[in-house]
Amino acid sequence: MNDRDHHRARATAATLAGAAAIFVASAAFAQDPIKIGVLEDQSGDFAAATMVKVHAIELAAEEINAAGGIGGRPIELVVYDTQSDNTRYQEFMRRVLQRDQVDVVFAGFSSASREAYRPIVNQFDGLAFYNNQYEGGVCDANMIVTGAVPEQQFSTLIPWMMETYGNKVYTLAADYNFGQISAEWVRNIVAENGGEMVGEEFIPLGVSQFSQTIQNIQTAKPDFVVTLLVGAAQASYYEQAAAANVNLPMASSVNVGQGYEHKRFTPPSLKDMYVTTNYIEEIDSPASKAFVEKFRAKFPDEPYINQEAANSYIAMNLYKQLVERAGTTDHDALRAVIAEGDVCFDGPSGNVCLDPKSQHMSHTIYLAKVEADHSISFPTVWENIAPYWLGDAGCDLTQNDPSAQYTPSSPPPAQ
Amino acid sequence: MTVFDKPTLAEAAPVARRSRTAIWLARLEGPQTMGRGPRFWAAVAVAVVTAAAYPLFVDGWTVGNAAYFLVWTFMAMGLGVVWGYGGALSFGQTAFFGVAGYAYGVLTINFGAAYGFTLFAAVLSVAIGALLAAVIGYFMFYGRIQGVFVGIVTLSVTLVLSTFMAQTAGPEWAIGAARLNGFNGMSGMPPLTIPWLGGDIALFADRPLYYLLLALVVLTYLGLRMLLNAPFGNVLVAIRENPQRAEMLGYDVRLYQVLAFTLGGGLAGLSGVLYTAWGQYITPSSMGLTAAALPIVWVAVGGRMDITATLLGTLLVLSVFQALTIYGSQYALVAMGALLLLTVLLTPDGVVAAAMRRVGRAFAGRRRR
Amino acid sequence: MDFATSAFSFLYQFGDAFAFLVIASAGLAVIFGMMGVINLAHGEFIMCGAYVTVWAARAGAPLPLAIFVGALVAGAVGMLLERVVIRRLYHRPLDSIVATWGVSLIATQGVLILLGSTMQGVGTPLGSVAIGAFSYSVYRLVLMAAAIGLLLALYLLFYRTRYGVIARATIEAPGTARALGVDTARVYSLTFGLGAFLAGLCGGLYAPTMTMVPTMGATFIVESFVTVVVGGADIFLGAAPAAAILAAIRASLTAWQGQLFGQIGLLVAVIVVIRVLPGGLSGVLRRVRR
Repeated sequence: MNDRDHHRARATAATLAGAAAIFVASAAFAQDPIKIGVLEDQSGDFAAATMVKVHAIELAAEEINAAGGIGGRPIELVVYDTQSDNTRYQEFMRRVLQRDQVDVVFAGFSSASREAYRPIVNQFDGLAFYNNQYEGGVCDANMIVTGAVPEQQFSTLIPWMMETYGNKVYTLAADYNFGQISAEWVRNIVAENGGEMVGEEFIPLGVSQFSQTIQNIQTAKPDFVVTLLVGAAQASYYEQAAAANVNLPMASSVNVGQGYEHKRFTPPSLKDMYVTTNYIEEIDSPASKAFVEKFRAKFPDEPYINQEAANSYIAMNLYKQLVERAGTTDHDALRAVIAEGDVCFDGPSGNVCLDPKSQHMSHTIYLAKVEADHSISFPTVWENIAPYWLGDAGCDLTQNDPSAQYTPSSPPPAQ
Repeated sequence: MTVFDKPTLAEAAPVARRSRTAIWLARLEGPQTMGRGPRFWAAVAVAVVTAAAYPLFVDGWTVGNAAYFLVWTFMAMGLGVVWGYGGALSFGQTAFFGVAGYAYGVLTINFGAAYGFTLFAAVLSVAIGALLAAVIGYFMFYGRIQGVFVGIVTLSVTLVLSTFMAQTAGPEWAIGAARLNGFNGMSGMPPLTIPWLGGDIALFADRPLYYLLLALVVLTYLGLRMLLNAPFGNVLVAIRENPQRAEMLGYDVRLYQVLAFTLGGGLAGLSGVLYTAWGQYITPSSMGLTAAALPIVWVAVGGRMDITATLLGTLLVLSVFQALTIYGSQYALVAMGALLLLTVLLTPDGVVAAAMRRVGRAFAGRRRR
Repeated sequence: MDFATSAFSFLYQFGDAFAFLVIASAGLAVIFGMMGVINLAHGEFIMCGAYVTVWAARAGAPLPLAIFVGALVAGAVGMLLERVVIRRLYHRPLDSIVATWGVSLIATQGVLILLGSTMQGVGTPLGSVAIGAFSYSVYRLVLMAAAIGLLLALYLLFYRTRYGVIARATIEAPGTARALGVDTARVYSLTFGLGAFLAGLCGGLYAPTMTMVPTMGATFIVESFVTVVVGGADIFLGAAPAAAILAAIRASLTAWQGQLFGQIGLLVAVIVVIRVLPGGLSGVLRRVRR
């Protein structure tokens, strides 16, 4: 007990010092708090896209506590800065599960960090929410994924682009799991729709010079370019392509919605970029506007409210619903509630539901178009796109728990 | 109690006078390592006993965390041997760390954990790491590469490995049943498992693993002390101080450098295997630029010219950095940078080394020469 | 015409890679080659120059002036750092690694805390030009010219000005220089400041083409280090030809097999060159000169 009070004192000091890393809900309730661990990168390479996630979680916690908490119990956040470092995820996941004894963890940005902490979550039979878009395929009963997956983003985006611009596609992807698997999805969907891949190029992480790539694209003469570039260095492509007057429409699942490049890059480098995202702050619906308003009221200096922020906010509310319906924080009970198949929430992005077979979330997918002045318009919206692939491929968490990650080229083994 | 002195020629001449064991035990103290005399060894004994009793007083997480810190000490000690004693700054210890870690993963995923195979896999993986170090060491030292070029070549090696492994995400990149899985990292390997009647003991990060690691650390530490005070260590230091003179005295400088480098690589590999077994996870980032710089930071802050300072310094730096990250939030990295700066400016030989010297001087007054 | 187009395109790719290596490594070559200090904060000087350049450009200054201001500020920061930290680290290369790594941590995290995780950049000026089937960014041609101009300017500085002669003398034989009345402390300070200025210049020149994040220096650091080390101690006999050779290797491998091969090929080339020429290129070229 002493140790914990000591931590809290230090935490309050740290918050006052302007680094709101540890947040403590005012314990005006008589009941035991529900402890929620938060492991996010608040410094290092990924901080640009992830600090807003912590803020979204804090906003949700404040709201829920103001309304009486989860089943009368207040939320207490235990926040750690993982410094964009996989080993920190391992250290702190262990700490948050074993020592802080939290009831659930919201963790991870990069897929590598998720794969680093997943064995630990499995070892302690914890429950973790992964609130990021990623390459899909995690079939693990200890994980609930609210991020968008390729079948939601590409099966909507690619056919639309091919209809609008033409059949010849060039893919430019980051050379690691997310990029390679996304490129595989693009390849398959292009083939299914009768298109032609005129080129595919993979760029190692951290590379920032694209002169040869630009030349390759100009040689191949595609109708549009699918850009799956990750990280600040690779994002330099857009500026360089615009400077070289490549002038091709671009399709992406990963830009704008996560790293708000349209705000950070000078117009018109992102002109004619189309992105499928499950939320960005420019969405015009009443739910979205209300969300943005209260977010900016609490965090006036927030640079951008991206899809990960919305996912984190939604995840907090989903967790609240699960616990209240199950009447307990016990993980098996929560999974039983998910298996009922009707855990849904009306959030900033619309109505979203948890899929019982994969514990992933359905999404409303917005097609965002970046104009020449980097404003956003929404040519079309797809409602209620389910994360169907894992269930179709054979993953069924209501029956068994393989705790593995699958890809289209290495699907679950036939049962 | 007598102070253990190195046997002089006269003493050693009647060969039967001292057994091999006695000679090696005598090498626990010597000119290349700090700390000698009954007081020092009493302090060591107290430290070991405290470390052994530690788990009884703290919770499971702290023990697992302490085990985690112990995992990295081998890499630090290896770098201490190569850099501090051998004088060659290797910027690529993480290459051997990664290779051994992946080797452990590949072996155990393919062959399982039964019948103590994980222990065999661990030893084999360390050997693979050491073999890679021998090959690279041969390439470098027999090519007369010296000084900062050693650092650049080793850095390039670890970066090549890290860049290459990061793109092995596809299913075609598999060794047997083990997918390399690129940047996301390889997981699914079992922890170290000790075969036992009535059920294998899987060493997750908890007390049993902690004790195993503690034993390994103590054994490695004592072993290195003996090795560094033996003629091998003396020659290594001579090479560090003046390679031409060592060569003119008849020692094959390149051979000694390769041996030291292999030893360092093997120890880095041991860290790699233990890290992979501890977290059931290994990733190419472990071989990247930031990861490669960290051991240098630990060893520099601790004190590279003495193995005790290196060991204690590594543990100190790891705990301080972790504490800063937990309690210092955004300012943690700034504080770490400042710590490094201050260390270099105020105690260039290492914080722990300077502290040990201070403590030694405080006790020196009453010591009989 | 096809041959001409492909010839131009290959020259362009080579020139682009060459410019990158020369501009990125000039500052490091001065600091490491001439002073024996391994500056792991090189990337942060680049970042400093880039940030100041962008700030100045957004405040209304024309781009060339903004770049110059960025470089100046980086140079000033460098001189300050030299005063406080680097002064004690000359010819202690291994200690300079730890110290400058610490500076790098403080700089990146400090900028993250003070200025946020990202800053809006400025667009690339000068548009594009079409040659054959391809269109190229004119600004990148400017960068190539800048690289050559930089080498020329440094040559003039070190071989034709008083400062240059004194600096080279001080670095080769500090005792003698001091005996002849040179204020060596000031020379070191100015030279380190020059190295930082050049790093800031790199940041300023590349700022319009990249995203502005506190960790943007990381993309330059490995390549500038390998260029400097392969080159050896002398900028002109070493770093420039090293940049040319490595650029050729990188450009050809990237054109042939893609960026992964280009990246790995560069590193492997470094290993091979160091093995074959342990003193770096300038060691060989010096001997040839004599």
